[in-house]
Amino acid sequence: MLQMKVRGLMFDPYNNAYIVILRDEDNADMLPIWVGKSEASAISFALEGIAAPRPMTHDLMKSVLDTVDAKVISVVVNDLKDNTYYAKIHLSHKDSEYAIDSRPSDAIALALRTSTPIFAQDEVIRKQVSDDLDHWLENLKPEDFGKYET
Amino acid sequence: MSTRRRPVTVSERVMEYQESSDLVRLKVHGVLPDPNTETQIVILRDEQNADILPIWVGTTEGNAIRLAMEGHVTSRPMSHDLLRSFADHLNIKVSHVVVTDVKNNTYYAAIHLVSQGSEQTVDSRPSDAIALALRTNSPIYVTQDVLKRRGGGNLDAWLEKLGTKNLGKYPV
Repeated sequence: MLQMKVRGLMFDPYNNAYIVILRDEDNADMLPIWVGKSEASAISFALEGIAAPRPMTHDLMKSVLDTVDAKVISVVVNDLKDNTYYAKIHLSHKDSEYAIDSRPSDAIALALRTSTPIFAQDEVIRKQVSDDLDHWLENLKPEDFGKYET
Repeated sequence: MSTRRRPVTVSERVMEYQESSDLVRLKVHGVLPDPNTETQIVILRDEQNADILPIWVGTTEGNAIRLAMEGHVTSRPMSHDLLRSFADHLNIKVSHVVVTDVKNNTYYAAIHLVSQGSEQTVDSRPSDAIALALRTNSPIYVTQDVLKRRGGGNLDAWLEKLGTKNLGKYPV
């Protein structure tokens, strides 16, 4: 299992969607995850540290968990099937641990709000076809890359 | 309502309506696109269909409510399904949700949770509260006060103009 950081968020003009770029700490491996517009905005709010005037959906999730003293331990991107990524949110609550099925976008949006580490299973990183990815990334213009590149 | 001289905290707002105990139960009657803006309108009605409360929400929020109304199950959990899943796993019951306030055209809501026998309240946008209530079969309420202050006189005419055609597309 590799710890990943959110390195960027960019617009994919070909698919009219957004891509969350996860990289491991050595920048050796990369995991691009396609997400919808509202999921991207939930992630970008957290990346930019913008506090919305009213709680957004993932702020509400955090506040529900806080209310009952549940803690997010980690989130793990744990599978890739038919181009769909799967994730688990690991919670601890009253001496028990729970692994809850989630889309990666929700898991990442919540992880960023709770300062929780994000992991990816080695197998997921192996499974993604990096040749195709490199080729695809080459075709992207530099300005397509988000301003969140760190 | 008296004029407030300082911001009212969430807990104060919650206490206000708990004391007044004047909640009206609402049903989600439909979600329809607002032809004038890029938003959607959630139509809430009381059980006698006497009062109506329209709440403007974003497209994503409107879809989250519509999916639940239609009982549509997506292949992957949507954000509010995840929220319900947290509640299920952690044994938290969503007892009810309340539209508690409206200020400058912004509605406020509270989600009432019961965990280990104690009730707690979480501040929420009405769209999240409604999307969660529909997924947990929890009742939705509004305070009499909010109902009184909603919309204004033109509302019925405005809704009529929108047409029952759009409204009927998503019947409950």
